[in-house]
Amino acid sequence: MAIRNTTVRWGAVSQLLHWLIVALIIAQVTLASMADDLPPVKKIGLLAWHKSIGITILLLAVIRLLWRWMNPTPLLPGTLKPYERTLANFTHATLYVLLFIMPLSGWMMSSARGFPVAWFGFFPKSWFGSVQLPDLVPKNKPLYDALLTTHQALQWVLYTVVALHVLAALKHHFMLKDNVLKRMLPFT
Amino acid sequence: MEYQHASRGAVLAALLCAPAFAQAPAGATHYSIDQAKSSLEFSFVQAGAQNKGKFTKFPVTLDASADGTSASRLDVTVDMTTFDTDDKERNDTLKGPDLFDVAKFPQAHFVATQITKTATGFDAVGKLTLRGVTRDLHVPFTLRATKEQGHAVTYLAGRTTVRRLDFGVGQGDWKSTEWVGNDVTVSYSVRLVAAQ
Repeated sequence: MAIRNTTVRWGAVSQLLHWLIVALIIAQVTLASMADDLPPVKKIGLLAWHKSIGITILLLAVIRLLWRWMNPTPLLPGTLKPYERTLANFTHATLYVLLFIMPLSGWMMSSARGFPVAWFGFFPKSWFGSVQLPDLVPKNKPLYDALLTTHQALQWVLYTVVALHVLAALKHHFMLKDNVLKRMLPFT
Repeated sequence: MEYQHASRGAVLAALLCAPAFAQAPAGATHYSIDQAKSSLEFSFVQAGAQNKGKFTKFPVTLDASADGTSASRLDVTVDMTTFDTDDKERNDTLKGPDLFDVAKFPQAHFVATQITKTATGFDAVGKLTLRGVTRDLHVPFTLRATKEQGHAVTYLAGRTTVRRLDFGVGQGDWKSTEWVGNDVTVSYSVRLVAAQ
């Protein structure tokens, strides 16, 4: 498989970034839902992972956008109707936006609460060095409440758009029988 | 401090012969805290990030010479109920039975009568009683003696490290240092006013 994209197929880097982020988002949703009912110590632990993975997704999203700009983008099939084309572009743009605002709202929320974010700071220092990130906003309870609501509401936007994205991919594969799904799969 | 080790006779003789020996314990000034202008803060590592908090009531008394060149007794009582990390949920957790257990141990107490001069200031070696456990603790500090509106005032400042688990602050799950570190940095800046 080629490293770079072509106008007909996603290259290895784009595919790796896509599926890695998929896996990390699943981990994020799992960690966040598990953390809800846990006693404080375990909750601190799970949320530390959640924050660290969130920052990782933010970094990967930056790399992904840069890589997209440096590469050709596989074209949408010519058979799409104009509204389908618009919907596809809208869905993809929304997903990219979410890759940024989900982590950023979470980071801001931690800052507003006064629980700073450390990127994998809980590993022994010899592994990573403790990377405590700066606070994005000052500590502020009403702001925290607003950001918490935002961060939680955004998950439903994410679920909705991901559902659209997945259904569209399946429609292309099973009903339209084109290569839209296959070109994002590594072994096809 | 050689004064502390000197025999009573020698101290008495010194006092009689030399009025300049005002920094000797017998001539020490008794200071007590100006709470409004004093702070007692702590920070600890939680999941790799520094978290901070403070106490807002912690009576301090100090016996020291008026010129700040010697000190003989430091006594600190911390009102644990004034514990504040600026977050209600975290405060409640920390005051709870597995951590500070404030209901059962509403006060922490430090007293030192052995205070030695160091290159940068003083080192008070005393006993800290926290959560019902008493252990030795070094409390290093600097003193800056001054007069404010004709009144003797001294500023005490410094920081030390307390290992929370030495005092049982952390029962059950909290005994683990995986997410919440054992070392707690305590920093203090106290304005002390001479007793009238």
